[in-house]
Amino acid sequence: MESAAFPRRIDALTEVVAFITAAFERLDAPLELRRDVDFVLEELFTNVVKYGRGVAPVTIDIAAVAGGVEVTLTEPEAERFDITRPPTVDTTLPAESRRPGGLGLHLIPRVVDSVKYDYSAAERCSRITFLKTTTSAPPDDAAGHGEKTC
Amino acid sequence: MLTIEGGDDTPVAISGRLDATQAAAAQSYLDRLAGVVTLDCAGLEYLSSAGLGVLLKTHKRLLASGGRLRLTEVSRHLQDIFSYSGFDQILEIEPCR
Repeated sequence: MESAAFPRRIDALTEVVAFITAAFERLDAPLELRRDVDFVLEELFTNVVKYGRGVAPVTIDIAAVAGGVEVTLTEPEAERFDITRPPTVDTTLPAESRRPGGLGLHLIPRVVDSVKYDYSAAERCSRITFLKTTTSAPPDDAAGHGEKTC
Repeated sequence: MLTIEGGDDTPVAISGRLDATQAAAAQSYLDRLAGVVTLDCAGLEYLSSAGLGVLLKTHKRLLASGGRLRLTEVSRHLQDIFSYSGFDQILEIEPCR
């Protein structure tokens, strides 16, 4: 598993992308998944930067699974916000009625196999895990990615 | 890394990654253009929701003055993002040839 921590700044997104690139190479993960993994991690990371109130770094873990990767973003000092239940976005509105913003979390379930949100009130820690594979095959549990704490 | 060039009487060629780190620069560039603006997306490798916001804001501004934003040479990956977000219903999108 590849792991790294990042400061809560938008410009740290460049480091996140570099980390994903290196992780995919080291894990020999399917390159065709890169853009979708980049997309989801950018949406999750920028969401933390914009709305998170903590200051501790955000950790990203990437593990190889059968046919893809499992990615976890851990946010310490977090308030509960279930990103799998974002505010509704009406994607049928005409341009004149639309406002920029709010689309990122709405799009995440469309580009990954699955996404899961966990929150520990005791630790004030949120953990978002998503799976992206080339097929709908279930993840390989032997990948060695157990529970972590903040 | 994002590169944008052209405009006014020629298509605007955009290439690289239009993500949250580049959105402000892209917006600043597109804000200077008027009328019917054609964005050549042949080199656009990646687009996040921050980039979608730039395109929407630009299109709305152009619409208000009788213009519009049209996208050409759009890759399959970007077409998927536009479809998921409903942007394929509000923007004129021409796929890659």
